[in-house]
Amino acid sequence: MSLKIVYLFLTLNLLFNTQLIAQSTRIIGLREHTPAVFAFVNASITAAPGEVTQNATLVIRDGFIEAIGRGVDIPADATVVDLEGKMIYPGFIDAYTHYGMQKPKENDSPHWNPHIRPHISSAEQFTPDAEKAEMLRKQGFVLAHSLPAHGLLSGSGSLISLGEGKARYQLIQSDLSQHMTFRISDQIDSHYPTSSMGAVALLRQSLLDAEWYDRAQSAYQEGHVGKRPETNLSLASLHEAVKSQQPFVVPVNDENWFLRAQAIGEEFSLPVWVRGSGYEYRRMEAIKKTGLPVILPLNFPDAPDVKSPETSINVSLEALRHWYFAPENPAAVISAGLQTAFTTHGDTDNFLENLRMAVSRGLDKEEALAAITTTPAEMLGITQHYGSLEPGKKACFIIATGDIFDNSTRIRQVWVDGTRYPVDENKKVPAGEWLVETPELLEGAIISIEGSNQRLRGDISLDEQSVRFSHVGFDGTRIQMRFTGDSLGIEGHVKLSAHLGQEELLGLGNFTADPFFTWSASRKAMPDLPEERTKRIPHLELTARYPSMEYGFADTPEQPQHVILRNATIWTQGPDGMLQEADMLVSDGQVAAVGHQLEAPRRALEIDATGMHITPGLIDPHIHTSIAGGVNETGDAITSETRITDVMHADNVWIYRLLAGGITSATLFHGSANPIGGQNAVIKPRWGMMGEALLIEDATPGLKFALGENVKRMETRYPGSRQGVEQIIKDAFEAALEYETQWQRWEEGRETMPPRRDLQLEAILEVLRGERSAHVHAYRQDEMLMMMRLAEAYGFTIGSFEHTLEGYKIADELRTHGASAVVWTDWSSFKVEAYDGILYNARLLEEAGVHTSLHSDNTQLATRMNWEAAKVMMTGVEETIALDMITTRPAQIMGIDHRTGSLEPGKDADFVLWNGHPMSTFTSAEQTWIEGRKYFDRQEDLRLREEVMQERTLIINAILDAQNNQN
Amino acid sequence: MFYPQIYQALKQYNAFMLFLLLSMGGSMAMAQTPAPAQEGPIAITGGTIHTITNGVIEEGIMVFEDGIITGIGQDLSIPEDAEIIDATGKHVYPGFIQGQSTIGLMEIARIRESTDLQETGAINPNIRAQVAFHSASEHLPVAAVHGVTTVVPTPRGSLIAGMPAAMMTDGWTWEEMTLREGLGMIIEWPSMRDKDDYARQTALLEEAFEKARRYQRAREAAAEDPDLHHPPDVRWKAMKPVLEGEMPVFISVGEVRQVQAAIAWAKKENLQMVLAGRRDLDLVADQLATENIPVMLTGVISGPARNWEGYDEGYHIPRKLYEAGVDFMIAGDAGAASTYRIHHHAASAVAFGLPEEKALRAITIDAARILGIDDLVGSLETGKHATFMITDGNALEMWTKKEQVYIQGREIQMLDKHKRLYKHYKEKHRQVNP
Repeated sequence: MSLKIVYLFLTLNLLFNTQLIAQSTRIIGLREHTPAVFAFVNASITAAPGEVTQNATLVIRDGFIEAIGRGVDIPADATVVDLEGKMIYPGFIDAYTHYGMQKPKENDSPHWNPHIRPHISSAEQFTPDAEKAEMLRKQGFVLAHSLPAHGLLSGSGSLISLGEGKARYQLIQSDLSQHMTFRISDQIDSHYPTSSMGAVALLRQSLLDAEWYDRAQSAYQEGHVGKRPETNLSLASLHEAVKSQQPFVVPVNDENWFLRAQAIGEEFSLPVWVRGSGYEYRRMEAIKKTGLPVILPLNFPDAPDVKSPETSINVSLEALRHWYFAPENPAAVISAGLQTAFTTHGDTDNFLENLRMAVSRGLDKEEALAAITTTPAEMLGITQHYGSLEPGKKACFIIATGDIFDNSTRIRQVWVDGTRYPVDENKKVPAGEWLVETPELLEGAIISIEGSNQRLRGDISLDEQSVRFSHVGFDGTRIQMRFTGDSLGIEGHVKLSAHLGQEELLGLGNFTADPFFTWSASRKAMPDLPEERTKRIPHLELTARYPSMEYGFADTPEQPQHVILRNATIWTQGPDGMLQEADMLVSDGQVAAVGHQLEAPRRALEIDATGMHITPGLIDPHIHTSIAGGVNETGDAITSETRITDVMHADNVWIYRLLAGGITSATLFHGSANPIGGQNAVIKPRWGMMGEALLIEDATPGLKFALGENVKRMETRYPGSRQGVEQIIKDAFEAALEYETQWQRWEEGRETMPPRRDLQLEAILEVLRGERSAHVHAYRQDEMLMMMRLAEAYGFTIGSFEHTLEGYKIADELRTHGASAVVWTDWSSFKVEAYDGILYNARLLEEAGVHTSLHSDNTQLATRMNWEAAKVMMTGVEETIALDMITTRPAQIMGIDHRTGSLEPGKDADFVLWNGHPMSTFTSAEQTWIEGRKYFDRQEDLRLREEVMQERTLIINAILDAQNNQN
Repeated sequence: MFYPQIYQALKQYNAFMLFLLLSMGGSMAMAQTPAPAQEGPIAITGGTIHTITNGVIEEGIMVFEDGIITGIGQDLSIPEDAEIIDATGKHVYPGFIQGQSTIGLMEIARIRESTDLQETGAINPNIRAQVAFHSASEHLPVAAVHGVTTVVPTPRGSLIAGMPAAMMTDGWTWEEMTLREGLGMIIEWPSMRDKDDYARQTALLEEAFEKARRYQRAREAAAEDPDLHHPPDVRWKAMKPVLEGEMPVFISVGEVRQVQAAIAWAKKENLQMVLAGRRDLDLVADQLATENIPVMLTGVISGPARNWEGYDEGYHIPRKLYEAGVDFMIAGDAGAASTYRIHHHAASAVAFGLPEEKALRAITIDAARILGIDDLVGSLETGKHATFMITDGNALEMWTKKEQVYIQGREIQMLDKHKRLYKHYKEKHRQVNP
């Protein structure tokens, strides 16, 4: 009895108790000495995941746990709180927040690039944010690992208590971690980088610089002569973080970036924690292999709009699948054995609801609790004080109305470091049913109110007559209602208002013109709880797909040991030329033989290709698909440090469509915004695999150059004319040679200050040394001539000119220099420098003996390169030469001709089966094979389409079911 | 003061580059010489004649005089004074029609000065494409030598954009190149992405038609009653044939919701309608067939719009329209430089199931009929223009060479900028490698 009174008393909001911290603050006025000893009795206490004790007692003193368990003696000085029917859990720890962090200020980085700000200290930045802290406490959190939000290297993380009060009381520990991102913040004013590949390059360069900085400073301290190294607090902080092996916390957007985070961690030996994306389930095997600790957000997507036929056709299967699978992601990641913590990041307000949803979708309750208590405590190294409830640990815990994973359970109080914070405890809820007791006229009437406090509605019924309120309002203390009394036998409008007590309404009322009357009612029922979102989604039988989208494969296509293709017209594009009614044997993924009536091993898979044509797989030496975060790094004119391989995103349906068009190899290029762009990637469209697995490892490395209109378009940037294009490239070449000299002198011991590694110049140096091929975007003859002469002056040969619209004007010069020409068939006139593009370009180049290929530079065009070859035939080029231009020729440019491009024994079995002459406009590809695996089959494609439709139907129905239930 | 201003103006419009280009190109940049009118009768003999409307005539004869076909068949008497052109082993096709294009109205896309596609304002029914048709455009001979003999420069960019014209691809002036003017009224159906904007735009359209009707009423009344007077209004006057059902509206759409809105509107306004579009038209094919709405398919070669769609989605649209019984023509992508390859759009649909015969019709007679020029071109028939090509094979195949093209009986010079530059630089190659 008295216990209940105490409990009610405690619901009054106490302010933060500064006595609980040993401090240096000078006290002004009277000193306070309020006791802080409590004994919580009769609770069900979960001291740690899986450790539940019923009817237990928790004693806390001065912010620490003094005792916990059954049969605990209650100290005589303790205030006793009866928690009969309630549960206590350890307070939650959010392992990834930007709580209390500030936006970047101008000129706040000593580094040349303001995205590199590892010196930013979250401890210095931290400003308590009462509103945000309350939001987090409402979800049960008592501690947050907080990191500055902006910048590629954004600064160091701190551990922060989620109580209220001054920063110095809330800050628990600083310099715990570093925040490293791939996101280019719009809050930072910087011209570079503009792309994801630029971001990766800048991160790598900065990590190299940090290491150099330390060596350079040491050399200087040791008295070596040479230039004084700069003083750069940013690099100093970064070096310190690396040296002390602080965890680098890396937020990612999807599973591809997860692996990139791992790659960069591996390259620089950084302990990486990944803040996941929710997409990990899509590539669980690869994610599992990283073995990295993960901090997972539980921000599950809203259902896509499938309300009308015209909106639902625009919803992708990828989005539909993600809607269904996202709530299973936490369970999938934890089952993979990765150390996993959860974060409210992305959806703070619905954290508990989402957590419960994840539990309903397979997440173990103990694992779920661990991910917000013990696991983050372990990761952050704070188990001595946080993460579970034991004597000696901090008094950080939650009082809930029941099992935290039950939808109906509400958190009532959160105790942070021994201070109590009520959660919605004093919030009054007028919704529910009320029985009117007085006055006599209304006695026995039932008032029913529903809705949220902001939007209430309801009715009053008496003697089986019911009237809807025309108005219901609530100001947090008093409720107002209005109705027309006629049907209850009362004339005119009736206005009611009442003070809402714990279980009663004490009200005033009046009829239209009459004076006041008083009324009262008692609560008959609490409002219905909203239906559990978790139960609304039916279980669906969905197969795994790689990628998890339209046309995704359940498995990698198998590689039969032997395949024999019979009776086809085979365009070998090798010394054997074209063979009629011929056979091809494929063994272990390679062409074993091409000829007539071949013997095949007994168990060879036999394909009757009568009437069909077989050509080598087509090769497009210039496309820009499947590049994440920008095709151009426009932040500078020379961006040779960028690498397409850092940002390949193969989960793109166009990879599949390339296969449907017979493409088996392609070069992915940086765009043409810069005189020197980025390093390219040479791939095979192995649909279903992740970016890296598409690479052809032994292809010639390449670097994109660009000349002409595109590179001089930016008004504020050098170059502004073709004259300047020559000079800036020349300048870069000189810089690369000087870089080489610096290293040589250092290695010879002639310099005492170590040179710094420069990723930009290294790639250019490789070009000058002939180790990396220059692929030069060019339209006009003058600029190509300039570039060839420049290359000759620096002793290398241009690999290829790309587009080469006016190549025919300097065909002899191209041949003499030895540059290949990569051309469109008929693109012209879309801009001035394209005005002299002609259909006969390829023909004249060919006639002049220039090594000539076709390209698309456009993913849709890439899916019909055979028809492009037909256009070249139209101008008078012989058909096998035309086919060479989309097979052997590009293979040579890309340095993959030793393995693909023609059908010769020992080469990769990359080939296409066509249902007619390969260059006929009436022909399409029937099958496309890569390394003896059938990646595309027209019949299989029809089956996949059927599956796609069925799966879409299944998930869309599930969404509509869920929405129907909701209403 | 004066010079910097000019320099600024030039810079602003990239005109400086155009200036450079023109001064550089000099005589190189001139189009080929248009052909003179046909003088005596000509007979094409021995070839396979694809009449389109009357089947294929093997070893056929086609006679034409003064630009008009006077006879066609297997047993045909050839006028004594006729020039005989032996087409044995060759194929004869009517010239292709590219039903919507920027050709003649746009030379270089990025250079505003070379572009006359779009007029100011939303309501431009009085705009006539032919008067801005640049007869010396380098793109015209490219189209002509590849068998594209009729093009339709189409004004763009307004709600009511104006009237396209059918133009021949060879001639000295726009006047003599005009095959037929005022083919229809271009209406660009407003986007339905933004509800409010859509409401504003449709209100504007309805208002234009309502005002135009009021105008016709007032003018008619004034004609009857000398006491009434109403001054002319060039916009509303231009809409008269549309309101009277003599000129169709060509409504361009991008999605199914627009199709249904456009159909309902044209019916309400009692207009003759042609629907121009591509994406998703197959989804409403049955409705288009039932409502008897002719369709101008603006391009076949393009990628699927949605991930779930088949890689060949675009190529199948013509087949689906065909199977649903929709009356349609195929127009290519509107690019001036790509006008020459209109047949590629038709042929690519054949690879995915459209009957070859229909593909051919879609860029000849069906196009002519929907554009309202089938009395002149679109098939090889007595009385129609002798506008045709002689090829070394199937005209739909990209590899096929167009050996000679005739427009209105005129043997056109088979020389375009591409061939000319090829020859020019072939000479450079010859000089370097004697």
